[in-house]
Parts: sequence; C-alpha cells; structure tokens
Amino acid sequence: MAAIPGRRFPRPWRSGEGLLVLPALLFYLAVYLYPLSRIAAWSLFERGFTLKFYRELLDEPMYFRALGNTLEISFLSTALCLLLGYPLAYLMATTSARARSALMVLVLIPFWTSILVRTFAWMVILGNNGMVNRTLMALGLTGAPVKLLFNMLGVQIGMVHVLLPFMVFPLFAVMSGIDPNILRVARSLGAAPRRAFRHVFLPLSLPGIAAGCVLVFLLAVGFYVTPALLGGPGQITLATMIEMQINTFLNWGFAASLGIVLLLVVGGIFAAFSTLLGIGRLTGEA
Amino acid sequence: MRAVLWAFCGLLLVFLIAPILVVMVTSLNDSQYMEFPPRTWSLRWYANFFGSAQWTGPALLSVRVALVVSVCATVLGTLAAVGIVRGRFRGRQALEMFLISPMIVPIVVMALGLFFLFSAVHLLDSPVALTLGHTVVATPLVIVLVRAGLRASDPALELAARSLGANAWRTLIYVTLPAIRPSLAAAAVFAFLVSFDEVVVAIFVGGPASTTLPKRMWETIRFEIDPTLTAVSSLLTLVAVFVLVVAAVVRRPGKRGAGLTV
Repeated sequence: MAAIPGRRFPRPWRSGEGLLVLPALLFYLAVYLYPLSRIAAWSLFERGFTLKFYRELLDEPMYFRALGNTLEISFLSTALCLLLGYPLAYLMATTSARARSALMVLVLIPFWTSILVRTFAWMVILGNNGMVNRTLMALGLTGAPVKLLFNMLGVQIGMVHVLLPFMVFPLFAVMSGIDPNILRVARSLGAAPRRAFRHVFLPLSLPGIAAGCVLVFLLAVGFYVTPALLGGPGQITLATMIEMQINTFLNWGFAASLGIVLLLVVGGIFAAFSTLLGIGRLTGEA
Repeated sequence: MRAVLWAFCGLLLVFLIAPILVVMVTSLNDSQYMEFPPRTWSLRWYANFFGSAQWTGPALLSVRVALVVSVCATVLGTLAAVGIVRGRFRGRQALEMFLISPMIVPIVVMALGLFFLFSAVHLLDSPVALTLGHTVVATPLVIVLVRAGLRASDPALELAARSLGANAWRTLIYVTLPAIRPSLAAAAVFAFLVSFDEVVVAIFVGGPASTTLPKRMWETIRFEIDPTLTAVSSLLTLVAVFVLVVAAVVRRPGKRGAGLTV
C-alpha cells in the first residue's frame, strides 16, 4: 500500500466523511451567523445607512463609562484570579495524587454549580442582614452594616468566585507537565528553593499564565449575571447596558452597536493572543 | 513554606465552597428572613417550591428544553466532530474554528442576536426559540468533547471495518461511535447542564409564556427576594454534584475522552 503524502492512511473511500459537518454548518448559519449579522445590521441601519448609534457611543459619557467599567472590572478580576489561583494550581501540581484529586473535586463542585446560584449565595452572605454584616456587628466592629454589595467589592467577590476555576485549570494543565527533575537539577546545582522557583518553575509555567489570563479576561468582558446582580450604578458594563437597552429603553439600534463593540473587544483580544500563543491553547486543544 | 501554601489554599477553597454550603443550610430555615444559622428548622421552602406552579412549571419547562437541547446538540456536534477529525477537505481548520467560535462570543451578544432573529420570525417567548438558542450554545462544547474522544480513539478500527465491507454509515454507527461512548455520554450530560443552567438567552428571548427555572430565579432575585430561592439553589447544586459524580463514575473504566473541565 502506497501512502499518499500528507495522509496517514490511504483512504480513497474516506472523502465523504467531511459531509457530516453539514447539518451543524447549516444550523450555525441560521441560528448563529445570521443573528450576528442582524446585530451588525441593526447597528448600522435606520431608514438607510447611519453611524449614529456608534457616534452616540462616543458622545454620551455614560456609554463610554460602560466600556471603561467593563475593562476595569475584567482587568481587576483577571489579576485577582491569577494571584489567588496560581498558588492553588501550584499546590495541585506538586502534591500527592490523592490530595490532588481531593483538591480537584473541591474546585469542580463550585465550577459546576449554576452561576446564578453562586451569585445569589453571595447576595445572601454579603447583604445588610447577611452573615458577614451580622458577625461584624455582633463583634462590635461596626455600628451600621458595611456596604458589601452593589459596588466594586461585591462584583469582584462574585466574579473571582465564578472565574477562579477557569484560571486554575489551564495553570494546572501546564504545571503538571513540568518535569520535577528539572527543579531537582536546579536545586542540586545550588539554587535555593525560592530561586529555583523563580528562575525555573515560574518561566516554565508562563504558557499556563497566559492561557488562564486570556480565558478569564474573555469571560469577564462578556459577563452579565454577576455584574448585573452584585454591581451598582458604578458597575454598569457593556453587557448589562445591552440588556437595559433592549428591555428598558427599547433602543435596539444602540443595543446592537454596544454588542458589536463588545464583540470587537473580545475578538481583538482573542486574535492578539491566538497569534502570540498559538490557536490550539485557546480552543481547548493544548 | 509548604504549610503556608496549604493554609492559603485551604482558605481559598473555603471561599469557593462556603457560599454554596451557607445557602444550603439557610434553605432549611423556618423563618422568612434567611437567617444563618437558622434558629428554627423546617422544609417549608422546599414544600413551597414543589407546591407552587410558579416554580414547578418553569422547572418542568427547563427539563424539557434541556432534554431536547441535549439530544440536538449531541447529534449535531458529534456528526460535526467526526467530519472534522476524520474528514479530509480544504478549509477544515477554518471550519473547525468557526464551529467552536460560539464559545468565545459573549453570551450577551449571542442572546442579542437571537433576540433579533426570533423577533423577526415572531418566535420570541416560545420554547422553540429557547431550544434553538441553547443548542447553539451547547454544540461547540459537544464538538470539543467528542473531538478529544475521537483523537484518542484508533482510526485503524474504522479502516478495518471498511475493508471488511461495512459501508460508511455502518462503520459510524457500529465502530466509530461505540469507541467514543464515554465522550458522547459526557457531551450529552454537559449539553443538558448548559441548557438547564442557562439564564442570559432565557432573559432575552424568553417571556411569560416560556419562563425557565433560571429565568424565574432571576426575576425573583431582582424583584422580590423569596427564601424559596435558597431551596431551589440547593436543589440545583445537588443535581450538579450528582451529575458530576455520575459523570466521573461513567468515565472511569475507559479513561478515554476529555476531562470534566472541557
């Protein structure tokens, strides 16, 4: 059997299998691509072509603030997730198999719990009558309830809670691939543990850091539920603004232009990092 | 140093798990003020959930939609994954990217597009719209899971079946798919969960005639905090944990397919 160059097997009868993609492709065209094109159309047309919905976006400070809020919230929660998630992923990668699976289960349980449930849980805990405030008041640390909800603090607590696993998993995937012998070599060559970590382990874990940060940032930029429930007027994001435009202000064209901006932000970040990191790492191929 | 690391991670895990436990305990309150810990205990909020059509109606709708979504997304996604992994054609990689791309589109943007689509064809506020919308969200996940299973399985088996005279369909049904059964099961389960938990599409395209459980919860959280929510929350968490355990047990024998983490 002569192998055809570029193929692992001679498979003259195999040509038909690509056709299996067709049902999904047709479905996507109707229910994914067409809706996205409708967004673009709504943002650009109102009795003829217009850029007014985009101009409004630049002119009205409130809308511009929504973009700023979105980026601020996303940067902050990405940084917090990295700071908190890195030690956890490190522990998971370097501990015994038994402890690792226990840790994994403890991360997976919240991961698979509905976001709505988790966000609601924080409302119960952080509210004026919540557990935290009543404990603080019982201890006499504060006379009146501290405001923990409907501000940046509440949003960050909720976001980090939801997004942390998305940081831990890619970090752990990369770290568990780092050969522990390399660290032993560094140690035997006289590097102190701290030095071995900083000059050997940390650089080797960089791909995980990059993948985790991109993933968390992308999710954070488009996040709706948590900012909407735990944030206040100062935490209006592109996502929450879109919903308000549709359900409250009935301004479809403007909602559409906000949607396009959000899509461009996400697409831009994704394109930049997929060229830097290679596409596979971001699409779950690793 | 190691002790500090363990202590830090211990606190972090408390942060991750505690809110869920607090809500579960709070749901056993007899008072309507969501006290923690409850002063008097009862199951009245669970009774409230199961006894009120306001809650059971949306819950049943959610289950129905999620079942249909699970079937549709698994069929579409599995066929597409087989086509991508086993097929050889021009533009395969670009097509693969396209089929997975809904995963990076913010759910709000997807929901907005679906809102425009279904308002144009007068399908807003219908279970059909919810099902179609959730299927788009779930299908990329199925593709990723099944693709991983296919890449781990041996194409030589299919080659053998073909050379023994099985046609393409028989090979697919009797050889390819059975070999990746654990991935298919995981994909179907996750498609179900994605739809069952989905709230943003439900907010945009759902309405009074098609209120899913997450949408009902959303409205309740926003407009009147009702302790029944704590009961619903703990039920949902129990379902998720149960599914997770089942998925882990199902996956164990073959050790094949993608991880639980996608």
